[in-house]
Amino acid sequence: MLLCQPPIRTTEEEKEGGGNVNMTESGAQLFARLDGRQSVRDIEPRLFPQNAQPGPGAVVELYGTEGTGKTELLYHFLCRAVLPVHAGGLELEVLFVDTDYSLDVLRLVGILDARLLAAAAESSIWPQRPEAHVRACLSRLLVAHCDSSRQLLVTLHTLEARLVSRPGPALVLLDSASAFYWSDRGEGGASVSKQEENLRKCSQLLAALLRDYRISVFASCHANRRRCGHASSSFSHLCRPWQRLVTHRVLCSRQEVAPARGGPRGHVFSAHCTSSSSGGKAYRNCSFRIGDGGLEFV
Amino acid sequence: MVLLREGMCPGLDEDFVRRLRDAQVKTVEDLVSSDMEDLAQKCSASYKALIAIRRVLLAQHAAFPVSGADLYDELLSSTAILSTGNPDLDALLDSGVYTGEITELAGGPASGKTQVCLGVAAHVSQHLRQNVIYVDTTGGLSAGRLRQMLRTQTSSDDEQMEALQRITVHRAFDIFSLLDCLYRLGGDGGGGGGLRQASSHGGSVKALIVDSVSAVIAPLLGSRHDEGMYMKSQVAITLKAMAKDFNIAALVTNHVTRSVEGEVQPGLGVSWSHVPRTRVLLERLPDADIDRPTRRCATLIKSSRRPCLIRAELDLQWWSRSERDTSGKRKLDRADS
Repeated sequence: MLLCQPPIRTTEEEKEGGGNVNMTESGAQLFARLDGRQSVRDIEPRLFPQNAQPGPGAVVELYGTEGTGKTELLYHFLCRAVLPVHAGGLELEVLFVDTDYSLDVLRLVGILDARLLAAAAESSIWPQRPEAHVRACLSRLLVAHCDSSRQLLVTLHTLEARLVSRPGPALVLLDSASAFYWSDRGEGGASVSKQEENLRKCSQLLAALLRDYRISVFASCHANRRRCGHASSSFSHLCRPWQRLVTHRVLCSRQEVAPARGGPRGHVFSAHCTSSSSGGKAYRNCSFRIGDGGLEFV
Repeated sequence: MVLLREGMCPGLDEDFVRRLRDAQVKTVEDLVSSDMEDLAQKCSASYKALIAIRRVLLAQHAAFPVSGADLYDELLSSTAILSTGNPDLDALLDSGVYTGEITELAGGPASGKTQVCLGVAAHVSQHLRQNVIYVDTTGGLSAGRLRQMLRTQTSSDDEQMEALQRITVHRAFDIFSLLDCLYRLGGDGGGGGGLRQASSHGGSVKALIVDSVSAVIAPLLGSRHDEGMYMKSQVAITLKAMAKDFNIAALVTNHVTRSVEGEVQPGLGVSWSHVPRTRVLLERLPDADIDRPTRRCATLIKSSRRPCLIRAELDLQWWSRSERDTSGKRKLDRADS
């Protein structure tokens, strides 16, 4: 059967054929490129506007100051994506690009554990070895640590090779997009275009990957001012090509709440989502708490 | 930015580099992001050779993605939780400072930041028998005080000296010497004292203390803003990478400022605020200053493990308490086992 031919062919052809390989594509290649990847559309219906859930090709930017739950939201998406279908997940492959060195795998395992247990309690079938289930989830996750915008760019280039050869990650999480903002500013000298060069190239490359392979990107972005107003126009300080890429913006914030039942003070987090993908704009607000088992919507 | 040089990878000779430079391809980033077909025509090189070079450069310079399961296994085997020696602080931090991440102590003057740093250094070197690197940027390190803390834990002079031997002190009074010091520690360089060398010699370093990080960064902010921010981001990236790569617990101290509303917040601004993974705010107790001058209030204001805003009272005297009471003894045994 033609469709089952190993997609590794692509790279071999590329090696031998030279010039116009990218122009034509066999059915098998098209199949490998598009069909193997699943949709992230249902990743979190409670956060995004109803008629504008982030589908393939979406870029979601989570924006906020420190401690407003951006990384927790990314963990939430990550868990939803890698959990098996019977535990309410999507069973996708995910690439986590960690530019902030913020990925806490122990925390992630804690959340996965809680979700798996909750799912098991609901279906009243207790898993034989919960540890193995967590491991199975984690094996769908790839983590790349980058320490400069240059490395980020080169790493994204290798992602393409990964996507070409087999149904690779359907979801790319980037924490955070603004990690190298100041070091790029410093290294670029006086010219703004030189300062933004690497992130601009990254954005252009991502745009091509989003178009060709229908992946989705969820990225966090740190605010660079302590007080950011409510106006969504004063959003991101990153370069234009990146901003053009973004289809959904989520503004994260938190409020301190009075202690419940004599406990310590706590926080309630809120997210304001704006989507500008399908012509009109759509909004949605939601709030959540963060507990041991990750996000709990209220 | 990495310039293309001859000999970087097989097939990239001097002539090739020159031809690429004529086609405005000077760096690795330029090469990997340009269209290979175009480039092959522009510098009349073989397409096949270009593809091969690009592939090698990608492999050399990209971050290699690790499977989450492998990362988890690695973490389980390598993560250590270093007890700070103070049970109240340990309880607040979920049993101590974790290796692989940055923990920050924020507080005003005389809130006990340096004392906590010294206490942690003494405890890690004496009880856990691990090496400590102490970067002192304020001149606040007092060897006498360290000795005093060690004396309460062991009466043997030799053991005290051994513990002091395990604490390596670097002094850096400006940002350049701090960065130089960190690079030298992180690099495999010939200068000696590098962490890679140290770990190959058997004595592994488990804690890196920078007291204080704000003392060298804060003077840079304000005047030439971009430059200061750049330096700050370099310190942050270097510290984070060191903590992760060498599996070290990094403990840094920071000052505090007040917002317009009069709220106390950690210093160094928003771009620093997300650097540490755990942050403890140290404050003097408002009322009981005279009765208990060494007691401080610690609030956990950032953590991914415990609910934020939990408070604990801790006694700075704990590290140099005169008699070892039973609870201290029990603590000690647990740390040893």
